[in-house]
Amino acid sequence: MKVIEIGYGDVRKVRVGRGEQLAFIGGPCAIESRDHSFFMASEIQKICRQLDVPWIFKACYDKDCRSAPDSFHGLGIEGGLRVLEDVRKEFGVPVVSDFSDPAWAAATGEVCDLVQVPAYLCRQTSILKAAAKTGRPVHLKKGQFMSPWNMKNSVRKLESAGCNQVILADRGTFFGYNMLVNDFTCFPIMARTGYPVCFDATHSIQLPTSMGNISGGQREFIPYLVRAAAACGINALFMEVHNDPKNAMSDANTVMNIKHLENVLAQAKAAHQFRLEMLDKFGEDNVHTNE
Amino acid sequence: MSIQMSKRVTVADVMLPLSGFPVVTESIMLKEALEKMSDQRLGIACIVSSDGVLIGILTDGDVRRKLLTVQKPFSAFFVDDVIVHSAKGPVTCRPEDSLADAIEIMGSKRIWDLPVVKDGGRLVGLLHLHPAVQALLGIAK
Repeated sequence: MKVIEIGYGDVRKVRVGRGEQLAFIGGPCAIESRDHSFFMASEIQKICRQLDVPWIFKACYDKDCRSAPDSFHGLGIEGGLRVLEDVRKEFGVPVVSDFSDPAWAAATGEVCDLVQVPAYLCRQTSILKAAAKTGRPVHLKKGQFMSPWNMKNSVRKLESAGCNQVILADRGTFFGYNMLVNDFTCFPIMARTGYPVCFDATHSIQLPTSMGNISGGQREFIPYLVRAAAACGINALFMEVHNDPKNAMSDANTVMNIKHLENVLAQAKAAHQFRLEMLDKFGEDNVHTNE
Repeated sequence: MSIQMSKRVTVADVMLPLSGFPVVTESIMLKEALEKMSDQRLGIACIVSSDGVLIGILTDGDVRRKLLTVQKPFSAFFVDDVIVHSAKGPVTCRPEDSLADAIEIMGSKRIWDLPVVKDGGRLVGLLHLHPAVQALLGIAK
């Protein structure tokens, strides 16, 4: 498995891959304002420093897959990227945002240390090519409609466009209408591409558009899924956090209250550490179908 | 051509050139390898490293045996790297080997194809039973 190094310039580099510390990709779902992003970054940084968890700040400048036409869409590319650039400089942390239009890729890559391909767009050739051309590592989310093995096609599209720095994430798979389920066999399957894997905990507990014009969520299951995913053998953990989830401008029903971050992240780190110790003690898993 | 005469015929005289049979890299999908085999109407694909060294073969028989044992969905089976389902260290022959000796090997191993390699294991051709027998019978085109 490749180890992906995230961060250019003066920010603290984050290495994601086998044998590395569990990396945390986290922040508010959307950039709500410069002040809010700074506040969130400051709070998360304190926790990550205390726990010694490598961290990448996540916040998006344009939320293009909201359920309703009048839902908050984001600060926009120009203002949003300016905020991310400032967060990056102020906190010395790598930053990531997704982008939903190939035309936004270059500008996103100029600022962000990691560019993210949204799950709904994970097989769009134009998006993948544009992501690859940024020259930055790509955080590729598995579509809720995709099998983990078919993500190989998306990885090939990235590779054919010159990208060989990829992290593959699971954010749940459609289980009927308005419902997601996590199949953790997706991690070893996606890892067979040779790239690290990430668990997106807060989107996994989403109930997509279950509330008519917005998505619901079952936050109470976040800690359970996080522990299970870390024990399974992920390389990075993705969670959206907010200081006031009820009033969050995006994904209010799924973002986790930041008051729980230290607890959940500490457990994730401990489970990951235990997994690494088991690897040392017992070696790689070596059970096969036909034996 | 008599069997005796065929001792003078070498594998190089009869083998298919690299362009005449499926040659694939190890990370190609199983599905893509099977498509190449169907396109070229041969029951074998030779898997080579980036420098052209033979590292395995995939045959119709390998796939048949896998179908009896693989438990995952076909859609997952299809996207596996071809090398995962291949036979490593296949029997081979060399271009200068006599055709009769090569056919004898094919008979004893009950196989239809023999990859042809040069020094260092570099793949240079494939001996397929049909043209080999045609040559043996003196009816080669």
